[in-house]
Amino acid sequence: MKVNNKRLPPVRRGFVQEEDAARLILGDDFAEEQCLFISEVKILLDAQRENKAGSDKNATGVYQSTFDYVNQFARFKNQDTVREVRQFLSGENLESFEVAQLANLCCEEAEEARTLIPSLVDKKDEEPLQALLNEMLTLKKFQT
Amino acid sequence: MFFLKQLKHTITLHPRFFGPDMEEFVKTKLYQDVEGTCTGRYGYIITVVQVVSISKGKLIPGLGSAEFVVVYQAIVFKPFKNEVLDGVVKNVNKMGFFVDVGPLSVFVSSHTIPSDMRFDPNGNPPCYQSEDQTIEKGGAIRLKIIGLKTEPTDIRAIGTIKEDYLGIIA
Repeated sequence: MKVNNKRLPPVRRGFVQEEDAARLILGDDFAEEQCLFISEVKILLDAQRENKAGSDKNATGVYQSTFDYVNQFARFKNQDTVREVRQFLSGENLESFEVAQLANLCCEEAEEARTLIPSLVDKKDEEPLQALLNEMLTLKKFQT
Repeated sequence: MFFLKQLKHTITLHPRFFGPDMEEFVKTKLYQDVEGTCTGRYGYIITVVQVVSISKGKLIPGLGSAEFVVVYQAIVFKPFKNEVLDGVVKNVNKMGFFVDVGPLSVFVSSHTIPSDMRFDPNGNPPCYQSEDQTIEKGGAIRLKIIGLKTEPTDIRAIGTIKEDYLGIIA
């Protein structure tokens, strides 16, 4: 009988690394996942609503509260603008989580962005970040 | 934070649904089972965007029902510690106030509200007030999550607004 000699990775029983957005520790389940902007969630939900108009499958409380939430807090209402912001931010060397936070919070000053998204501090200096925010605000201002 | 996440779910289908519309039944059952649920691990599953694959059904011995493993993509909302979020004030009382961030309800205790803000129980509606800010029901607020408690079917969160750039937003 053949014995499997392959060594298994050490099992860390009961050890769970605490999630911490400030240090970009999102846990094993979400580390590699795509973060969505609130605006993107709005577009997805709107599209779904059109497809499934009339059916009552969307009636859950969670769905409704999210729908209201994204409608209130989506910064970019226009699909093209969202695409532009996504494209423009993905050109920067940032994690998906940071990109989404930047687009969701829409800070005006670099200092503000660095305070609210602490992981940016080591990655972006004040000036390039300010340029980035200005660009984003311009896109926001001129959306139709 | 909202995520687009690929998830797996096992559906058990009663034999009376076997037939030409079986796939539809599996999908409907999936929507019923997962949408609107909350798990500590994945957060709130808001809606299924797309069904990626449905495995071949496997009969359960002795029952006649079949099991299908469905892979699907869903929009999920999971809060993280130290994440900054915007929300709407739902309820104000002397212990603090509750903020709705989509499906999640976050409690902001009076200890994590700036010390110059005082609770005004006689206001209509009741509110927290300082010289230049008022927190009352319906206001939009930016907060930071400082603690999360995940239970199998629920997530509880507490937040703070006692830091720079947090508080009422225009």
